[in-house]
Order: sequence, then structure tokens, then C-alpha cells
Amino acid sequence: MTEGTHSNIVCVFCGCLCDDLQLEVQNNIITTNENGCAISKAKFLNHADDRLEGPAIRVNGTSKEVTLKEAIAKAVDIIANSKRLLVYGLSSTENDAHREAYKIAEEAGGVVDNTSSVCHGPTILGTQESGEAVAALGEVRHRSDLVIYWGSNPQFAHPRHMTLHTRAAGEFIKNPKTERKIWVVDIRKTISAGVADKFIRIEPGTDLEVISALRAIVRGKELDVDNVGGLPVSDLKEIAEVMKGAKYGVLFFGLGLTQSKGRHRNIDAAIRLIQDLNHYTKWSMMPMRGHYNVAGANKTSTWQTGYPFAVDYARGYPRYQPGEFTAVDMLMRGEADVLLNIAADPAAHFPRKALQHMGNISIINLDPKQNMTSLIAEVNVPTAIAGIECDGAAVRMDGLPLYLKQVVDPPENVLPDRDILRMIYDGLRRAKK
Amino acid sequence: MSRVGVQALLTSGRTLKQGRAMELGKLGPEYLKEVSICEMDKVTLESLGLNEGDPVRVETIHGSVVVTSKLDRRSEPGVVFIPCGPFANAITGSDTEGTGMPNYKSIPVQLFAAKGERILGVKELLNRMVEGL
Repeated sequence: MTEGTHSNIVCVFCGCLCDDLQLEVQNNIITTNENGCAISKAKFLNHADDRLEGPAIRVNGTSKEVTLKEAIAKAVDIIANSKRLLVYGLSSTENDAHREAYKIAEEAGGVVDNTSSVCHGPTILGTQESGEAVAALGEVRHRSDLVIYWGSNPQFAHPRHMTLHTRAAGEFIKNPKTERKIWVVDIRKTISAGVADKFIRIEPGTDLEVISALRAIVRGKELDVDNVGGLPVSDLKEIAEVMKGAKYGVLFFGLGLTQSKGRHRNIDAAIRLIQDLNHYTKWSMMPMRGHYNVAGANKTSTWQTGYPFAVDYARGYPRYQPGEFTAVDMLMRGEADVLLNIAADPAAHFPRKALQHMGNISIINLDPKQNMTSLIAEVNVPTAIAGIECDGAAVRMDGLPLYLKQVVDPPENVLPDRDILRMIYDGLRRAKK
Repeated sequence: MSRVGVQALLTSGRTLKQGRAMELGKLGPEYLKEVSICEMDKVTLESLGLNEGDPVRVETIHGSVVVTSKLDRRSEPGVVFIPCGPFANAITGSDTEGTGMPNYKSIPVQLFAAKGERILGVKELLNRMVEGL
């Protein structure tokens, strides 16, 4: 690839997909990353380090390097002989790889789920119940005069979100310091709460109650209690009045809302609060998507299977059932007998019982880097890092698709996820004939 | 190990250092350091008789782990925090209540001083979890 300076590169870490990175490349190594956050810098400047060795197959507990052809043949053999394949991950790779993963799930009559089932899956369930009131990030910067982060810590999880979108001046907000207020609602005073204009602390697990109380107040009801979720009703009334009085409000919400008690009901209630507020003024809301292309995984899954996650092909046609075909449930019940893991690390992020079952089954792991899943995988295939070593497309948290450029060549004989998956798919087709 | 403990709710999530360490390598020392901590308020730390940096055992009905105690000056008693990763997962339940999503937030825990106890490495913890220990 071209040595020298690469401008307007899209960052492939979080759902912000910041598209203003400036990279310097020397001898096929990225040497500087201007504009990126601390995590972006770590990702881009260490792209060549800590790579997954292989392709490799584990035999009697010992990992043995093999050729790519042998690794693909082993993966095909494992999948072809599986009774209940689980295809999982996809949030840290590009859209074309997703397509191949869905084809494998369909061919093998397996289940395909993406990491949204353990991040914003409940957001999708809430949206399916109550609709979607999403805005573009540009609109947020240009118009919003009140921004609320609920159960989200952007300073840590999306380090440039505030700088680029909510603390930045826009067309109609010339001075964001005086014309825009930022509030944080959380159970603990996070670093983001420390830099916000107002921090509202609520008791753990009371999001649904607080949102429901706000809805009631916005609709003019009187509450017959003194406080909700640790907040006096007088405070809630004040919050509701300011929300109604905003010219353009935006609610950004994170895993504090989706992973806590209530889960999709929290999101359902939040959407309905936004709908209520739209009787008075303009409000929208947006999930703070974590992995850079988890939003893309939901989009591509919907395009190809009809459903955003938790899709089962056992009957030859796609069926959707979160709670049944979601990865943690499939593993916890001991149902999956093979896991094809792509660009994710369930061994580092799944709870104990689900992880325990991962130790009992064959895992085929595709990833550029070493991770915890690679330690227990039967087949490890190193792949190119999308957005650094191969191109592709990814979807930003507001639904905007962005093209990812290739800036350096991948290591020798290392291919993109989409190519490896296509080889597995072709092998499966051949095995069936 | 001390059997005089403190009850709290455990929450987990990303930290900047955890995110950065993850990109440097999940099997490296920095990642281990950043995910094997438990942030707590001063009252909780003192109630346990700990100095910041002392090991603390965090127990739930799903399991227990030893991590390094860390003072969070912004925090209040009742809520403690472990960055998302294998240590938090080791004591998290897998039940999703039909949603696909386990309860990663607000898990009832008991904290105990664990002076002299060792913090496991990532590989060691993984092996123990896979073996159901």
C-alpha cells in the first residue's frame, strides 16, 4: 500500500466511526495516528503486534500450525458434522464478511447471532415494540440544546463522542458552552458525569421507574409518591419541565439501560418518553453502539435473514427468537455443539456458565489478534484487520454506512474474514454434494 | 480470609484503560491489570480494613474472584465497579430472562478483605472457569 500520509481514515474501534484520522505509514507499519483517541491510537499503532499465530489446529490440547488449506478443511469437517452450529460475533469486522457468515449458518442449518445480543439487543427489542426515534449525529451537533447521556460513560467508551458531537459548535448552536446543556443520568458518578453540566444519580435498577415517572409528569399526571429511584418528585418535575422546554433534545443511552433490570422494557419506556416529549418539542434518541460495526451486523442480518440477531436456520428458513437463539442462552443450555466465532471474544465477555460450555465444544475462531477465545479454540485462523489491512463498509451508531479504507498490507498469507468465510462456505457446499 | 464483609451492588463497564489495554493484547500484563480491579468508595475500603491496592474477594451466588481494590473518590457506598472482562464475568450469572442479555449490572455482591490472596492470571482464570471450578 501507499507509504506516507493517509487522511480521512475511519477509526475501527467504537460506534462513533470517527472519520478524520490522519495516519502516517512507513514500511507497511502505521507510525502515527493524529486525531484518534487513546484507544484508537492503541489499535492503529499496534496493528502489527500480538497477532494470532497460525492457521493452527489444536490436537490433544496442543496447538499445531497447519496450512490455511488444512485449517479450512478442518473447519469444514467440524461444521459439516455439527448438530447445532452457532455462528457468533461479527461486530468487529466489515459488512461483506457478515454476508458469508449468514450463508454458512443457512447452509449448515445453524444459528447466527451477533454481539448485539449482549449489548444493544434489548434496544432492538424495545424498538420493535415502540418504534425508532433516531437522529443523525450531524443533526445533534447542529441543533441540540439539551443532550442527556443515560447509563452511558462516553468519556471512556466513546472518547471523542462529546468532543465531536455534543461539545462542538453547529449551524444553529454557535456557542455550545452556553447554548447546549449536557446531563448525565447514572447510578454512579462516572468521569462523564464529572464533566457534564448536571449529574442525576438514580438508584441501581430503577431506570424503568424513573422513566415511567417522567412520562407521567410530562403527560400532566400527579404522582402519589414522594420520590422515585432516589429522586424527589420535585426534582423529577423540574427535569421534565426542562426536557419539555428544550428546542431540540437528544437522549443517548448506553448499556446502563440495556443490561440492567428491565432491559428492553427500559428502552421501550425511553422511546415512549421521547414520543411523549415530541408532543411539545423535538426530541430524538440514539444507542451508544460499542463495537465499531455492531450496528452494521444488525443491518446486514436484517437485510439477509429478515431479523437483526438471534436467527435460527434449523428448519431451512430463518426464525427469530431472542432468549432462545441468542448466544449466551444457546451456550448456557448446552445446546450449541460447534461455535464459529468471527471477530469477537466471547471467552472474555460471556458469563461463567456460558463460558463453561465453550470448554466442551469445538470452536473455530477467526480473528486478527490473540484473544481469550483463541486459547480454547480447536481451529484458529488469523485474519486481516478490516479498516486497516483490508477495505469494507461499516455502520455508524446513527445508521450511516461508511467506507473503510485499507492503509497497510496484511501479514503474508493472511486474508480478510470474508475470504476465509467464503472458503469455508464453498467447502461446506462441496462436502454436501 | 476475613469473613466480615460488606454488601454492595456490582456493576461493570468499559474504562479507557481497559479499552486501550484490550487493543494492546488481551493476554498481556496491562489487560490483566486493568480488568482485575474493583473500584469502591472510601467508606467501603475502610470498612474492609483495606488500603488501596490490597486484594479483595468479590463473591456472588455464581462464584468469587480475587481482584485488586481501587479507590474511586467519586463513588458512594453501595455500588462497586469491575471493568468488563473475565473477572467480572466470573461472578456474573448467565440467565438472560428470555432476552439474550445476562444481568451485567447491579449484581448483589459481598466483599471481603483477601490479604495474602493471589490474583489469577487471565489464562489461569479462563481454565478454572472452563473447568467449572
